[in-house]
Amino acid sequence: MRKTLLALALGLTTTTTFAAGEHGGSHATASNADIDRTISFEAGDMWFDPENLDIAPGETIKFEIVNTGNLEHEFVIGDAEAQEAHRKMMQEMSGGHDDGGHGGHDMAEGEHGGNMPAVTIAKGETAELVWTAPENVDDLEYACNIPGHYEAGMSGNIDLQG
Amino acid sequence: MARSRVITHPLSRRQILKGGAALGLGSAAALGLRPSWADPWGQTNAYAKGVEEGPEVALAIRRESLPIAGQQTHPISINGTSPGPLIRLKEGQDAVLRVTNLLDEPTSIHWHGLILPPGMDGVPGLSFAGIAPGETFTYRFPVRQNGTYWYHSHSGLQEQLGHAGPLVIDAAEREPFRYDREHVLLLTDWSFEDPMSVFRNLKTAEGYYNFQERTIADFFADVREKGFSATAEMRSMWAKMRMSSRDIADVTGSTYTYLLNGHSPQENWTALFKAGERIRLRVINGSAMSYFDVRIPGLKMTVVAADGQPIQPVPIDEFRIAVAETYDVLVMPEDDTAYTLFAESMDRSGYARATLAPREGMEAEIPERRQIADRGMEAMGAYGMAGMDHSGMAGMDHSGMEGMDHSNMQGMDHTSMQGMDHANMQGMDHSSMAGMSDERNGMKASGMLAAGAAQPGSRYDQAGIGIDPDERRMLVYRDLKAFTPWADRREPGRELELHLTGNMERYMWSFDDKKFSEVTGPIHFDKDERLRLILINDTMMEHPIHLHGMWMELENGQGELIPRKHTLNVKPGERVSALITADAEGSWAFHCHLLYHMDAGMFRVVKVS
Repeated sequence: MRKTLLALALGLTTTTTFAAGEHGGSHATASNADIDRTISFEAGDMWFDPENLDIAPGETIKFEIVNTGNLEHEFVIGDAEAQEAHRKMMQEMSGGHDDGGHGGHDMAEGEHGGNMPAVTIAKGETAELVWTAPENVDDLEYACNIPGHYEAGMSGNIDLQG
Repeated sequence: MARSRVITHPLSRRQILKGGAALGLGSAAALGLRPSWADPWGQTNAYAKGVEEGPEVALAIRRESLPIAGQQTHPISINGTSPGPLIRLKEGQDAVLRVTNLLDEPTSIHWHGLILPPGMDGVPGLSFAGIAPGETFTYRFPVRQNGTYWYHSHSGLQEQLGHAGPLVIDAAEREPFRYDREHVLLLTDWSFEDPMSVFRNLKTAEGYYNFQERTIADFFADVREKGFSATAEMRSMWAKMRMSSRDIADVTGSTYTYLLNGHSPQENWTALFKAGERIRLRVINGSAMSYFDVRIPGLKMTVVAADGQPIQPVPIDEFRIAVAETYDVLVMPEDDTAYTLFAESMDRSGYARATLAPREGMEAEIPERRQIADRGMEAMGAYGMAGMDHSGMAGMDHSGMEGMDHSNMQGMDHTSMQGMDHANMQGMDHSSMAGMSDERNGMKASGMLAAGAAQPGSRYDQAGIGIDPDERRMLVYRDLKAFTPWADRREPGRELELHLTGNMERYMWSFDDKKFSEVTGPIHFDKDERLRLILINDTMMEHPIHLHGMWMELENGQGELIPRKHTLNVKPGERVSALITADAEGSWAFHCHLLYHMDAGMFRVVKVS
C-alpha cells in the first residue's frame, strides 16, 4: 500500500480554479503539457458523476470537478483501505455529535494531502486535480470522506487494468 | 418550492455532463452502469406483505382470521394482510385510492405525513364522515412530495388491530443519496388482547402492564447506595407525583408482541442483500404505543431522511424512533454474512427483530437487552418541584429550586445523588446560570427567539431515557439538518404555547389540562400566517405530537437548515418548538400519536382560515 501511495503522491498536483487564476497561466500550462486527457466531473449531493472510471496505468488525468450540490465536498483518490482510514479520522474529528459544520475537513485536507491526491470544493465552485495513474495497482476508489457523504453515495471505482 | 433547490439536475443537463465525461474518457464502458436512482422499478422493493402500485390502488378492509406470531387471531386486514400492503406512489401522480370497508363498523385511512386537501386526510368527523360498512370511499389527491411515510386507520382503536401499512413515494428527481437496493421495515406492536380491554385496563389500574415497578428489594438496595433518608425521600417524591419512576411505557411487552413487517422475532423476517451493496432501509414506526431503539450490530447506519424529508447524512450506530416517525438509513454490509436488525422497545420489555442476510435461512446473534432505566430528574422537572419538601435529601441544598429557578445552583452539592442523571436537567429554567447568554443573544427585539434557534429547555442533544450516550453513537434531534432552507423564511409572527398534560393514575391525557371532550373550539391559525408552536411536556412520559396537513419545522438550533417533520417527539419536561406556515386551509387533527393517549383526549382540532 505504501508503494501505491508514493506513486500517487508523485503524480499529484492540486489547484483550485481560484488558485490557477491567481498564479496566472504559467503553472497550468506547464502541467497541461503532460496531461493525457481531461475528465469533467460533477460532485453533487450525494454522488459523483461519472460513477466509475476506466483509466490506463501511467495516464495523466486532469479532473475538472464542479460542485453542483448545496454542501462542501471533497474528491480524494486512494485505495479502499486508505479511504476508510481517512473516513474514520474525519468522523472522529467531527466529534460524537454535530457541531454545526460537517466539520473536520479543514484538518483533513492537510492530513490526507500528504497521502492521497485530494481536493476540497466549496459549493458552486470548480476545482482541478491533476493525477497520474499508478502502474502497479488494479483498483482504486474516489470518494468524499466528509462524514456521511461516502456512505450516502459519494464514491466510485477506478479500474486501472487498462 | 424549496425542494427544487435540492435537486437541480434535470436529465437534459445531466446528459450533457455525461456526454462531456464520455468524451474525456474516450470509453463508454465507464458509463455502463446506470445510476441506481434512475430506475426505481428495477430495485428490490421487498416488503413482506405485498405491494400495491399507484396511481390507482384499491384497498379492501376486513376483519379476518390470520396467524400472527404463529397464533391464529383476528386482526384487521388490508387486501388480505395485516399489517397492510406497501402502497407505492410516484411524486407528480394524481393518486386515486379506493378504500372499501368490509368491517361491521365505520373505518378510515389517514395518509400519515402527506400534504393533501383537507377532505382527503381521512379523519372521521373532521376531514370526512368516515367510511360506513359496505361503502367505498375514493381518495383523490395530487402527490406533491416523496419519501417514506405510512397509512393507518383514524377510527377508534382500529390501528391497534393492524390497520396500518407503509406508504412510499418515489421521487420525481434525483434524491440526495444513492443506493443499490431498498427494504421497508415497518415496526408494529401487536396485542392478542382486545384494544378496548387494553384501554380499560389502563384506565382502571395505571401500571397494569408495568411489571417493572420498584419493589421492596429495590428499596433496600437504594438504602445501601444512597442512605435511608434520601431513598425514602425519593420514594415519597414519586408517590406524590402519582408516578412510578419505572413508567417508561404504559403498554408494554407483557401484552405486546413486537413485529417487524408483521413478523415476530421468532419468525425472523429476512431482508436480502449482496455484499458491498448500499442498502436503503426505510424504517417506519407504525406502533400504537411503542418507541424503539434500532441498531444493526456490526454495521454503521447513515441517516439520510427523517419523516420522509432528506437530511444531511449522519453516520450513527443506533437511533430512537418515536411512534409515527420514519427514518431512512443507508447501510453497506461488506461481508457475506448475516446481521441482526434489532429494534428494542424503549421500556426494554421486548424487541422486534429481523435479519439482514445474503441468503435465506441465516441469522446472527441477538444482542442482550438493556436494563430498564429509572426516570430521573428530567421527569421530576416535568412536574414542577415547587412545594415539594426536599429537606430530607441528605447533602442536597435545593433551597433555590422554588419554581425550578436554578439561579442559586452554584452552591449545589450533588455528591450524594449518585444514580440520578443530571445530564437531563435542561428541562428547567436555568436562566440565571452563566453560559446561558448564548441563547439570550439569539433573542429578537420582540422578545422571541430567532427562527431556528433551540428553545431553552429543549434537549435536542439527547436521545432520551435508557440510553448511555457513551456506549454508541446515537442519533439525536440536533443532528437533523436540511440541505437547503424551506421556502418560507419569515420570522414567526406569534408564539402559541401548548402544555402536554396528564394524570397517569387516572389515565387522563390532554393539552393544557383539557381533554378533547372538554375544549370549546379549535385552535385557530390565520391562513398563511407564520407561527411558532411551543410544546411543553408537563408529564413524565414521551409524547409523539403529530400535526396533520402542514409541516412542522423543528427548531433544533440548525438555523436556516432546520428539518421539517410531521411528528415531533417531546421528552418528559422538555420544551420543543416548531415553525409552521399555515398555508393549508381547513380543519386538521393535532394529537399525541400514542393511540390510547389520543383516545383519552390528547387531541385538538387546528382550524386554518
